Amino acid sequence: MALPLKYNFQNVIVRWRSTLAAIFGIALVVAVYVMLQALAVGLEQNSANTGDERNFLIVRKGATSESVSQVTREQFRYLQYMEEIAKDAQGKAILTADTMVLVNLPRLAGNGEANVLVRGVMEKGKELRAQVQLVEGRWFVPGKREVVVSRKLASRFKNFQLGEEFHVPGADLKVVGWMDGGRSAFDSEVWMDTDEARNIFGRENYTSVLVRPVDEAAAARLKAKLEGSKQIAARLERETDYYRKQTKTAGPIKFLGVALATIMSVGAVFSAMNTMYATVGARTREVGTLRVLGFHRRAILFSFLMEGAILAFLGGVVGCLIVSAAYAYVTATGYTIGTINFDTFSEVIFDFRPTPELMGKGLVFAVIIGLLGSLLPAWRASRIPVISALKSV
Amino acid sequence: MTIGTFIVKNALRNKRRALLSILSVAVSLFLLVTLLVLLRELTTPMEDADAAMRIAVRHRVSLANTLPYRQRGVIERIPGVAAITPFTFFGGKFRNEEIPSFAQFAMDPIQLTNVFGEAKLPLDQLNNWIADRSSCIIGIETAKRYEFKIGDKIKLAGTIWPADLELKIAGIYKGTPDDRNVLFHHDYMDEACGRQGIVGTWWVRAKSLEEVPLVVERINKEFHNTSAEVLAETERSFVLGFISMWGNIKVLIGAICSVVVFSLILVTASTMSMAIRERFRELAILKALGFRRHELFAFILAESFGFAFAGAIIGIGGAWLLFSNINITAVTKGMFVAFELTPRIMATGFGVGAILGIIGSVVPTISMARMSVIQGLKTLD
Repeated sequence: MALPLKYNFQNVIVRWRSTLAAIFGIALVVAVYVMLQALAVGLEQNSANTGDERNFLIVRKGATSESVSQVTREQFRYLQYMEEIAKDAQGKAILTADTMVLVNLPRLAGNGEANVLVRGVMEKGKELRAQVQLVEGRWFVPGKREVVVSRKLASRFKNFQLGEEFHVPGADLKVVGWMDGGRSAFDSEVWMDTDEARNIFGRENYTSVLVRPVDEAAAARLKAKLEGSKQIAARLERETDYYRKQTKTAGPIKFLGVALATIMSVGAVFSAMNTMYATVGARTREVGTLRVLGFHRRAILFSFLMEGAILAFLGGVVGCLIVSAAYAYVTATGYTIGTINFDTFSEVIFDFRPTPELMGKGLVFAVIIGLLGSLLPAWRASRIPVISALKSV
Repeated sequence: MTIGTFIVKNALRNKRRALLSILSVAVSLFLLVTLLVLLRELTTPMEDADAAMRIAVRHRVSLANTLPYRQRGVIERIPGVAAITPFTFFGGKFRNEEIPSFAQFAMDPIQLTNVFGEAKLPLDQLNNWIADRSSCIIGIETAKRYEFKIGDKIKLAGTIWPADLELKIAGIYKGTPDDRNVLFHHDYMDEACGRQGIVGTWWVRAKSLEEVPLVVERINKEFHNTSAEVLAETERSFVLGFISMWGNIKVLIGAICSVVVFSLILVTASTMSMAIRERFRELAILKALGFRRHELFAFILAESFGFAFAGAIIGIGGAWLLFSNINITAVTKGMFVAFELTPRIMATGFGVGAILGIIGSVVPTISMARMSVIQGLKTLD
């Protein structure tokens, strides 16, 4: 016969003084694990959430990212008249030739400078990227030195308020609007007119071309045409796929999260073990009584294992609560997190996302710690000889 | 039986408890020093003696913009400039590696010893490199990792630059903070890319330490209001610029770590005081026998200190053994390079260990001091 779980549950609560330290230790392990993984997930979702399934990005063959690509004006002209590309009501092809420039700008907080991604787009660029919405001010006028910055960037860089001007070599750019990228990579960009960008930054060529083919079949034909031709030497990739792969930065954070959690969990196992040994030691007589009552050794072993698991689970719940509190704070204050995107070499802004899945993983992790920590003490409890157990004070 | 053996016997009476206490201190301190080393790696640039004399010159817009080759002659004539070399990041793909474990730079081989004097290689290898335009030299770490020998060929597929290069290894250097880079002729790359006449950055060595700030200012002024404005800065601030790109991540990790370590230490301290609390009855007997408070305090402190110290030796010593014996560059695939446990970090670790010993003994001592002998004898816990 097994012991009722209620017995363990109440034990954990009655001896709260000694169990508190163990619970706290496990809570921290879970909190750190979930927190760091949530950062990595936030970064990944940020890029996974970017782009439109129907769009295709054209970059130079061999270019690993947009920022190292080049598309000449001749190539663009050739692309413009390809029949595979969809047309709007006026018969104009739906495509944009972008000019991407990294600009080193001073941070608002005064702690140095960071690379900001400035993207020059054509009129159709806004249409192709419907997830980008203007939230304040107006769009830039082509041919003028005006920019629209992401609202999230505005809180991080100097002179990004509406109506202000910031200096880049050779020009002053006026901020005329704020945009919102809908939690995508576009939240980390500054947009302006593509030809104006080429002009100011002295670029002869565009960086990349974004097109919307008529349908999937047209996309396949376009791919075959462009990648087969020696003249164009371009590569075609679905926009969403291109962004999904930009996860170089998330790797080290994930690694750190797992490494930290592993080392910390060893400490937490010791702490749980210590607590459980103390519990077993203090309850020797109780265990003897249970044995006399007819409970089997296995039942005792199982019972103490359960107690460890319950203890750890409580710790896990506390850990998740800590993360939720941090998330609530971040959401309420509108705090933005920025770091370097190793794919574009520019500052990327993202949210940290403690998903239910991550929290579930954290709880499982906690229970494993609890089971490991209580295994030896539970084994000991089940081995105590009945007579000596009853004699103990 | 002396006081000393009394303390030791007492501490080791419950061997399991002693072991667990020591091990949890060890884990906490291992974690603490590891995080300190990690933060140091993230925030402190690697430096060598020559770094203070070097100046990096990049395009004012950002590092991703290139500079025209014609600037070389202009910079060479600036007073205070001892040597200059182009230094262009090639960023080619090697074999099937998505991100190669080594960086590749195109430079002027003749200027290697003038600008990057800390790179050491035999004179004949250097001369062979200078003589053969399509050759390269590689860092010793890279040579070890891929088992490259002199005479082997490295094929690099261009990603940023529109050219694929095949380079013959002419020499293997060591002595720089990060011996991994592959260095080759700038001229050769320029030719392969169709004579565009552009470079990534210029690296300049000043004639003397005093002239460094002047040279920085002169270079910046020289190209002001030209088509390619530059930003010259010392090597240190150039590298710090890279570090600041980590942005909030650095601060967040730092914050998370300090909270975690602090709390783990508290947990450990409470575990240690648990060992004393369960001995209240005995302490009461000692009191009844006539031991004074401060003597009892000394017993407890010595025991708690002993645990903390043993834990510190295992934790910090373990970290030291681990970090100095594994090749951190290989394990983390080039993410971390030095990962050095400095004496300063070690001292911090031991300091925290000592504090742990004190905290672990103070709390039970206070309650012991307060209790009367009768109360203590009655304790059952």
